[in-house]
Amino acid sequence: MKGNFFISLRLFFERRRQSIIATLGVVIGTAAFIVMSSMVNGFQKYFLEEALNINGHVKIFVGSTFREDRILRKVYKEGIFFVLGAKPKSVKNRISNYSEILNRYARDENVLGITLHLIGNGVISYGVKEKPVTFVGIFPELENKTLRISKYLVKNNLAQLKRNKEAVILGIKLAEELGIKDIGKKVVLVLPNGTLHRLKVVDLLNTGITEIDKSRVYLHIKKLQDILGKPNEVNEVILKLKSADLAPFYAKRLTKETGYRAESWQESFKNFLSIFKIQKIITRSVVFAILLVSGFGIFNIIMMTVLEKKRDIAILKAMGYEKRDIILIFSLQGIIIGVFGGLVGNILSYGILEWLETIKIEVEGIVRAEGFILDRSISYHLQGFIFAVLVSFFASFYPAYRASRFHPVEVFRSGS
Amino acid sequence: MGADTVLKAENIKKLIGNYEILKGINFSIKRGEFVSIVGASGSGKSTLLYILGLLDTPTEGKIFLENKEVDFSQEKKLAALRNRKFGFIFQFHYLISEFTALENVMIPMLKAGVDSKRAKEKAEYLLERLGLKDKILRKPYQLSGGEQQRVAIARAIANDPILLLADEPTGNLDSVNTQKVMEIFQELNSEGTTIVMVTHERELTRMTHRVVEIKDGEIVEETTLV
Ligand SMILES: Nc1ncnc2c1ncn2[C@@H]1O[C@H](COP(=O)(O)OP(=O)(O)OP(=O)(O)O)[C@@H](O)[C@H]1O
Ligand SMILES: [Mg+2]
Repeated sequence: MKGNFFISLRLFFERRRQSIIATLGVVIGTAAFIVMSSMVNGFQKYFLEEALNINGHVKIFVGSTFREDRILRKVYKEGIFFVLGAKPKSVKNRISNYSEILNRYARDENVLGITLHLIGNGVISYGVKEKPVTFVGIFPELENKTLRISKYLVKNNLAQLKRNKEAVILGIKLAEELGIKDIGKKVVLVLPNGTLHRLKVVDLLNTGITEIDKSRVYLHIKKLQDILGKPNEVNEVILKLKSADLAPFYAKRLTKETGYRAESWQESFKNFLSIFKIQKIITRSVVFAILLVSGFGIFNIIMMTVLEKKRDIAILKAMGYEKRDIILIFSLQGIIIGVFGGLVGNILSYGILEWLETIKIEVEGIVRAEGFILDRSISYHLQGFIFAVLVSFFASFYPAYRASRFHPVEVFRSGS
Repeated sequence: MGADTVLKAENIKKLIGNYEILKGINFSIKRGEFVSIVGASGSGKSTLLYILGLLDTPTEGKIFLENKEVDFSQEKKLAALRNRKFGFIFQFHYLISEFTALENVMIPMLKAGVDSKRAKEKAEYLLERLGLKDKILRKPYQLSGGEQQRVAIARAIANDPILLLADEPTGNLDSVNTQKVMEIFQELNSEGTTIVMVTHERELTRMTHRVVEIKDGEIVEETTLV
């Protein structure tokens, strides 16, 4: 055993050029794995965390009962007929039993908070610029207690919503598109019924999530009920849960119990989640390809070493080293390469991540940020290291096995 | 067979394909003997030596090592016997090129479980005895052919084998180095090491106790010199 370690280590350090080349492949694979995991997961985690902070986990709303493919039954026996393009029935867009929901679920141990909304549609105009928007009427304190809205307000003026009847909060990208750079500006809200309402921008919402910052408009719920002529009405209830994973379960239960449609965030973000999934698959494939290439590198180098060292292997066997010893000597080479490459790759990736964190660039896509959003979890470092060792071990195993099968007499006979 | 028999070969045959390389060799080696095997090229000398050293399997026949029959089906045991009981020297030194002379000599001892400090001390001692005191840290390519062969001898005797098997150990050496190697063999033999040496240099057999001549896979003559 001791002999095997000794021989393996000495070979690794003496065959410097091969060892460095093989190790380098592992270094690059490991570093790529860690850096890419940090970047992709950093972005995805950030997006979901912020989005859930502001949107909650479960949304109860009045879903349309209209189905595109209603089946016309009992018309003909021999077939099923669909009606396409049927005229939607009008449904009252209100949740009448919201106080019941509030009472029942406020005490649930998994529910951190519940907030009530009145949602409406209209057009917001500033000068000659107009934007169709969906506005959200909120109880400012309840909203902030449940969701972390004030965290994202540029001027921290949430209280103004209560004090000032004309107050409105705009998403920062929406404001920008309208040409509003600062608070205090007056905008006009045009409702579908034709009425106009002058409002004053008291704050801007900056979540970093483009989708929200581009569309969100907050008003006080009383004001909205007032101008929409829907006193005391609520048409959306939002639940914030202890754990994001509970959302589908609660959504199902709420749909059944309330008679309205309850949607989990997983459903609301379905599109994003599937993009994320693809993103992860792509990253994994790239990393896998890199690891595969470095694995082949190791395979080649150990195979070359083994063929070059045929005579040494023969003499080792003559001196009493067994098959097992030979396998160990050469697969240990792989493990040493993996451990070294894994360690150096970890250090390298740490350096790269540190450097990426200092870089200031304006990123604008699904999220806006001033640099890379990184998830600096130790688990990526650990995973990277384990992958490195496993890949190197497996890559060296076959050559090591081949080496163990050499017959000393055949090698001696083949001369020199 | 007597208690002083180190190794006994009984009716050893070796077939490769239909070709009978060894045709029933009967032969035994006593403790402390220095035996030389001679014969024409292709007569089967190396083949016999590999079988005596448990590196190759006979097609037929038995080998008794210290009066115990060797079981050729047990690879692990064969390896352990080679490690503890045999020392091998070949025409080529077969030193590991990445290792120093010292490390090359340590390798069989490490396999035997000797701790590295003791293995190092012993390797130093053996190399010093063979006149390589100043060269223990050199790599094989930094040594002359004669020196390389002496390192190989040091490695072969590192585990104090009961039998040293040498296949044309001087085949690649000039007369001066050949002389040196033979002197080392005689010295080791006088200290009790049993040696079997294959050679085609007739004059070298004069320094041995017994000459066994092989022809076409058979022993045709045995001459005891002392
Ligand atoms: N694997 C093999 N396949 C076929 N023939 C073989 C094989 N190994 C050995 N032989 C033959 O067996 C015979 C004996 O070979 P061996 O190497 O033992 O001879 P040797 O006496 O050592 O010769 P030399 O003095 O040239 O070393 C030779 O004729 C050789 O060609
Ligand atoms: Mg030969």
